[in-house]
Amino acid sequence: MRHSMMQSDVENRGLILDPRTKLFLLITMATFVLGGAGSDGLWFLTPCLCLIPLVLLLFSRKYKAAIKYSIIYLTMYFSFHYFGQKTTGITNFLLLGTTGIITRFMPNLMLGLYVVSTTTVSEFTAAMLRLHVSEKLIIPLSVMFRFFPTVTDEFSSINAAMRMREISFGGKNVKKMLEYRLVPLLTCSSRIGEELSAAALTRGLGGNVRRTNVCEIGFHIQDFILILLCFVPFLLVILPLSRVL
Amino acid sequence: MIEIKNVDFKYANSESNAIKNLSLTIGAGETVLLCGQSGCGKTTVTRLINGLVPHYYEGELTGSVTVKGLDLVKAELYETARVVGSVFQNPRSQFFCVDTTSEIAFACENMGLPKKIIKERIQEAASAMKIENLLGRNIFNLSCGEKQRVACASVSAMHPDVLVLDEPTSNLDMDAIESLKCILQSWKSCGKTIVIAEHRLHWLRNICDRAVYMEGGEILLDLPMHEFIASPPEKLCKLGLRPLSLEHLKKESPPSTSGGSFKLEDFCYSYEKRKPSLEIKSLFLPKDGIIAVIGHNGAGKSTLSKCLCGLEKEFWGKVVWDGIAYKRRTLLKKCYLVMQDVNHQLFCESVEDEVCLGMNNDNKKEVQGILEQLDLLQYGSRHPMSLSGGQKQRVAIASALLADKEILVFDEPTSGLDYCHMKETASLRNSLRGKRTILIVTHDPELILLCCTHILHLEKGRVEESYPLDARGSPRLINFFTHGLKKEKDIEKTI
Repeated sequence: MRHSMMQSDVENRGLILDPRTKLFLLITMATFVLGGAGSDGLWFLTPCLCLIPLVLLLFSRKYKAAIKYSIIYLTMYFSFHYFGQKTTGITNFLLLGTTGIITRFMPNLMLGLYVVSTTTVSEFTAAMLRLHVSEKLIIPLSVMFRFFPTVTDEFSSINAAMRMREISFGGKNVKKMLEYRLVPLLTCSSRIGEELSAAALTRGLGGNVRRTNVCEIGFHIQDFILILLCFVPFLLVILPLSRVL
Repeated sequence: MIEIKNVDFKYANSESNAIKNLSLTIGAGETVLLCGQSGCGKTTVTRLINGLVPHYYEGELTGSVTVKGLDLVKAELYETARVVGSVFQNPRSQFFCVDTTSEIAFACENMGLPKKIIKERIQEAASAMKIENLLGRNIFNLSCGEKQRVACASVSAMHPDVLVLDEPTSNLDMDAIESLKCILQSWKSCGKTIVIAEHRLHWLRNICDRAVYMEGGEILLDLPMHEFIASPPEKLCKLGLRPLSLEHLKKESPPSTSGGSFKLEDFCYSYEKRKPSLEIKSLFLPKDGIIAVIGHNGAGKSTLSKCLCGLEKEFWGKVVWDGIAYKRRTLLKKCYLVMQDVNHQLFCESVEDEVCLGMNNDNKKEVQGILEQLDLLQYGSRHPMSLSGGQKQRVAIASALLADKEILVFDEPTSGLDYCHMKETASLRNSLRGKRTILIVTHDPELILLCCTHILHLEKGRVEESYPLDARGSPRLINFFTHGLKKEKDIEKTI
């Protein structure tokens, strides 16, 4: 009965965003925070963008994740800028490496977590249909969405079984840990996948008619605000370039 | 409505025919029960009717299958899907969506119906299945019974003429079976044609019109239901079928238990932020007993078994055994849980490796002895995943015995088993009696009467009652499974 991370919590999700807005947010974050575009001269850009996942997490009432995220990010950010100048040599190298990687990756991961945990499969397919993506791509992607919670479920059962058999780190079977975990995981997931597709086929998936989608998606005021916000960094990078030309 | 003519079918990877020269005609509005032992071909017949054979499960097929004039051998699966709706055995793996509303809409969306009609149908199906309160919920948080009702609603929303159910109750408790029965009755009164393949027969007595008994891919008996019911229980037993009514079940030999007991202390546990799902301050259980843990879904049965095996991290209770207190970490070594899905606990490449995995010192003789006792000796070098369900379960038991676990907990060991296999499971438990303490979490009254010595009845996380299963205990147990339901509903009404 526990909630797993990758499972969309449809019962309790607070602020509702259109999946397309979420997608655009992800692209923006990946370009500027992970990719580091326009980071020279615009030092304030990345930290500001990193506020977005925090705000979204707070709106969807994931307080624990929000607090953890802000603590880790702030520590990493300040040690990067403060200790980064004070240390030298190998420590400096290691410090800059780890803090740099974490400050770049973590905001994206948190946003990804937010997106996966607040989007339902049918919302996702509806958005994809509106974007005119082919069904050949949509169906496998939506199955993947459905599969995340299943695999985490299976994984925790297998973990429990391993603990009862005393197969854990530090035991005599350290080398085989991965194999022991993967063999049952693969057999179970492949069986579930098979049953899942049989069930989907008997419900008429893959017919020759165009699928409808009952899901109400659409842009609201919160979507427009976020999309406008996302345009800001793009403009900030592009405008100076056009002046040079 | 359904016409199967001279069908032979062989699955692509198997050597023998799953179905041999089978002909079956089912008229419109009939409700037909398919029964028989595991592997008799009844699942294959359901797959013939919903088109999964030969379109999804491939193989060699001769003969013809038509439903409502549609030739299923030639028709595409999505065409069949508009006429035939299917409900499957495993509630975990028949959902395509993560939330209930879009799951019910899913089939209609595939048919390309307009939005407005789909919304009406969702409401209609939800009210027919009495699941309005489940709409918009996360399917992963529902109980098995609720999942099965959502599956029925999803099928029902397509308005199919034919409904096929393949062992729909194998994971359900009595209440859930009762509500499934109501659903079937409402379908029947709408004039739908229904085909059910099932092991548990008692709930279908008043629903089916006709019973078809299969063996080895052939139809041996095809009787109207009232004749089938009239046949003596011994005959059913001989056919390997489960009894048709629970009232006549009897305990074969009263148990004799001697002395010793162990104590559970502070068995309290609650999942995050919710009210406690288990609250047992102290409880004595017999050491040499086979204890059946019964109760409705959500009564705390599986929480109890997980806590007992030391699998819940924030659990602080203890077990007092021979004056020694065992806490979570030591319970992990003392107890072993055989899960409902045994596939989760088989890791190795061969049965022998598997059972030796948890052993402290490799002792060849002991291994051979236990394998022989569990009838596994000939499979020593086979891959555990290639065995049948019952054999896998025995491998799991063997590994628990060899790892010197003293308390074995079984979670639903007979879900989806026929009479013979259930009997086998029961006699296996009996042979372990006295050597190990056994707890069985189950909804299966037949299994309990065959092998258990004690009943532990949980309700809402507390012990409702706990009694030995003797001459006085067994009527109490049968009463729980047949009347417990009505009584509770009456109480609710008076409140």
